[in-house]
Amino acid sequence: MADNGLGSSNQESTLIRQNNLECKNLYDYLKTRPPNILEKLYNHPTICLAVYRELPELARQYVIRILFVDQPVPQAVVASWGSQAFSKEHVYVSKVLSELSVWQEATIPGGLLGWILSPTFKKNLKVALLGGGKAWSMSSALEADSKARDVTFLDAYSLERWECVLHYMVGSQQQEGISADAVRILLHAGLMKRDEDDGSPVITRQGFQFLLLDRQAQVWHFLLQYLDTVEERGLDLVECLTFLFQLSFSTLGKRKAGRFYPTRLALNITNSQNKNTPDIEEDTPKGYIVVETNYRVYAYTDSNLQVALIGLFTELMYRFPNLVVGVITRDSVRQALRGGITADQIIGYLKQHAHVQMLHAENRQPLPPTVVDQIKLWELERNRLTYNEGVLYSQFLSQADFNVLKEYAQTNGSLIWYNKERRTLVINKSAHDDVKKFLEEIF
Amino acid sequence: MNDQAMKQFLLHLDETLKLGRKFIIQDLDENHLFISADILDTLQAKIDDLMDQISFPLAEKRGIKHSFFFSQKS
Repeated sequence: MADNGLGSSNQESTLIRQNNLECKNLYDYLKTRPPNILEKLYNHPTICLAVYRELPELARQYVIRILFVDQPVPQAVVASWGSQAFSKEHVYVSKVLSELSVWQEATIPGGLLGWILSPTFKKNLKVALLGGGKAWSMSSALEADSKARDVTFLDAYSLERWECVLHYMVGSQQQEGISADAVRILLHAGLMKRDEDDGSPVITRQGFQFLLLDRQAQVWHFLLQYLDTVEERGLDLVECLTFLFQLSFSTLGKRKAGRFYPTRLALNITNSQNKNTPDIEEDTPKGYIVVETNYRVYAYTDSNLQVALIGLFTELMYRFPNLVVGVITRDSVRQALRGGITADQIIGYLKQHAHVQMLHAENRQPLPPTVVDQIKLWELERNRLTYNEGVLYSQFLSQADFNVLKEYAQTNGSLIWYNKERRTLVINKSAHDDVKKFLEEIF
Repeated sequence: MNDQAMKQFLLHLDETLKLGRKFIIQDLDENHLFISADILDTLQAKIDDLMDQISFPLAEKRGIKHSFFFSQKS
């Protein structure tokens, strides 16, 4: 019978990536919520609309097509709406819609399987699209404010407050501290941790990755972490989410409910995928980084935060009052990579903050291609081998035995490697117990 | 595994006991080796070393003009 090979080669990716910052979008977040929470959320038209906006295009199309259909639509019919060439997309969006409990499976008289929109979602999406229902609590009319805030002020204010959080993370002292609550969230999120000696919060590897994200992703990640702690504080998760979504649908700078003005940061939280909306472009601070083909980096800044960020992946050489000069070297990049920062994050950051001069260059590329390629090569160089943890099975008595096991492993996706002639196969270690059970049953 | 050269390097490490012992359990094919799991960290460090040895610093860190600035640092 199949003999259990010993030992194994080991995995790399899963082990190391675990420490890295996981950045979820709205879909990833909602998907992990239990169905009863989703059901409650869908009681609010705002949330239905936000979820609808975030769906993939094809999914939006399906939802609209069956929005006014009262009975389940056969699955085969839904599949036939698109051409065969896009069946992969169809399968994907069907999965998304099911995971978000937007639609559910239902049996049609006659035994066919069909899809039907979840009743709560259907009802409230209609309200969101067609009007009706309760007025969204925040849009109540109020008299004009004597001290109205304009958009510029709000942008400056939100920028200042957010920078304050980031500054706090890198430990630069030029801003006043932030609220104890925010610190608690940073600690909870693992972006900072208590120093072992004096207990003061210090930034972690995930924290550095967080700093390299764009502003909107940062806010969203921060909010998710906040939501995680909501229930511990005795607040209702559903209410918090509803409030956030309602907020994201309000208009920039328009005073709501007489008490607050939403800033751009708040408005952008739900459209996490539309990176190109003009709102966000205005939001990005002016670029300050010049990268030359000789790997030199000139950063026109006097902010400690920005200097600290540049210092993550460059070797700093000179510091002037308004300019920092550094050089990107193999060592500096490798150090960043070891810290869990990816090449794409580095390149993304440099691109995002490229100086206006860089954008006006002839080839319209904000970064010299040589530098971009080299940073990627430095990353690849660390991954010349891929590792899979597995168990080796060999010395099968017959080809038939071998085939049975091979097919079993293939169907449950755990086959890593096989060789017919040598009757040897390697199976994912996580599936080892299953395979053992299977063998006992069969032979 | 992606390239022959790396496989040969591993075979070499195995044969010459560079990591203190043999670690390849079975040579599967051109692109695959079955190795013992507990050697992984040592192996990765060794590969890092190799990469360090065969790379040449690209960036001109200290231009002639600026060499003065750096005399203190180095």
